[in-house]
Amino acid sequence: MLTILNGLRDLSFWAILVRMLVAVLCGTLIGLERSSKNRPAGFRTHILVCLGAAVASITGLYLYLGLELPADISRISGQVVTGLGFIGAGTIIITKKMTIKGLTTAAGLWTTGVIGLAIGSGYYELGVLGTALVLITETGLNRISGTIQPRPEFIVEVLYDERNALDQVLRYCKDNRMSIVNLQIQSMPPEHEADYAANIKLRGKLASQTLVSRIQLMRGIVSAMEI
Amino acid sequence: MIPALDFLREFRCATVILRLVLAVICGGVVGYGRSQKARAAGFRTYILISIGAAMAVLLTLYEYRMLNTLWADTVSRVGMKFDASRLASQVLTGIGFLGAGIIIKVAHQQVSGLTTATGLFATVCMGLACGAGFYELVLITLLLIVVVLNVMAPLEILFKRRLRNITLNVEFTELADVQAITEVIQAQAARIYDIDVERTERSGNKWPSAIFILQLSKENHSHSGMLSAVAELNCVRSVQELIA
Repeated sequence: MLTILNGLRDLSFWAILVRMLVAVLCGTLIGLERSSKNRPAGFRTHILVCLGAAVASITGLYLYLGLELPADISRISGQVVTGLGFIGAGTIIITKKMTIKGLTTAAGLWTTGVIGLAIGSGYYELGVLGTALVLITETGLNRISGTIQPRPEFIVEVLYDERNALDQVLRYCKDNRMSIVNLQIQSMPPEHEADYAANIKLRGKLASQTLVSRIQLMRGIVSAMEI
Repeated sequence: MIPALDFLREFRCATVILRLVLAVICGGVVGYGRSQKARAAGFRTYILISIGAAMAVLLTLYEYRMLNTLWADTVSRVGMKFDASRLASQVLTGIGFLGAGIIIKVAHQQVSGLTTATGLFATVCMGLACGAGFYELVLITLLLIVVVLNVMAPLEILFKRRLRNITLNVEFTELADVQAITEVIQAQAARIYDIDVERTERSGNKWPSAIFILQLSKENHSHSGMLSAVAELNCVRSVQELIA
């Protein structure tokens, strides 16, 4: 801890003013980055969270240090952390495709709250350091995050007439260490070119194109394609 | 605890920086593995959560230090009223709520996001240990989380493929077909535990459907074999295995 800052760690008027301003500044920095990506929680949201957390933690300190009540100084701060968990849960959206959006925003908002608590308690070093790390994570690591190529699950639709044909396909997948995540078999109407259609959801080392072209060559397979 | 690391357990500027950086690295390692699977919580989510958790513990350490130095006057008058584990415990509750937001019901009897939510929870616990400077625990936990999330996933799929208890979602032409389907399943020497009829009438492009919970026979427990057998019935429109 830096001893120079000790003068600003009490509850004097100037110390509190400095804390509020630092909280607003840190909230703004994190929020601006989020706003620039047009995320739901913009810089006003982040400022309010950071400022609110700081006020809560100063109040907690005031009960004990100012009013000298027998209160635990971290109780109010603790509830802020829980409360922000609720707000975070509310920012998470489930899209129509059943995927999750807004999780990074929720996590960032929650961490901003903890930064606000640190600043409110007068632990400026931690608050500023935390802000710097969050900004590095959001901007710098975003690039790394973009280069991560997930090994995706894909669905191959196989049209076939006989049951043996499907068994053959599944055996081929297993032999090539592809894991079958799910399987759906559908009967086709009589006028259709094939009797059955199987949707096989797969994940593994083989690329979908290679797998599809191999399946197409098998006996009893009418057609195979990736969906 | 390793005594050689004790100098890193002191509460100084340098160790605070070390712990926060450690939290970033550990969160990043867990997040990197998860991002490769195209899951909801990416790289950054894990890092942010890990930083927040470490900060909460560091904040507690700071408050305790202050109570023993600058605020010692008040302590001598009012008495020490401080619970060092309070902030850390609320972190767990908070992340519990965040996790609840990720879990979604994707279809009948199926939820998604459970592993992501629990992974975030475990990462937060690791972040708390980072902040407290319990480095040994951090390293062991990191290793275990990475093993569980990355190595165990294929094992789990393998395990589920071998299970004899399966759940099938079958779409058919009309309600009376349930009888025929039941017979086909029993012909494969499987036991039916439960039949749950979902829709009894055709509406739009949706067919009547039912969920069959059954146990395959010991001799013949190929999941795809059962699916194919059911699909061969003329009345069956589609059959799908539901995997929890």
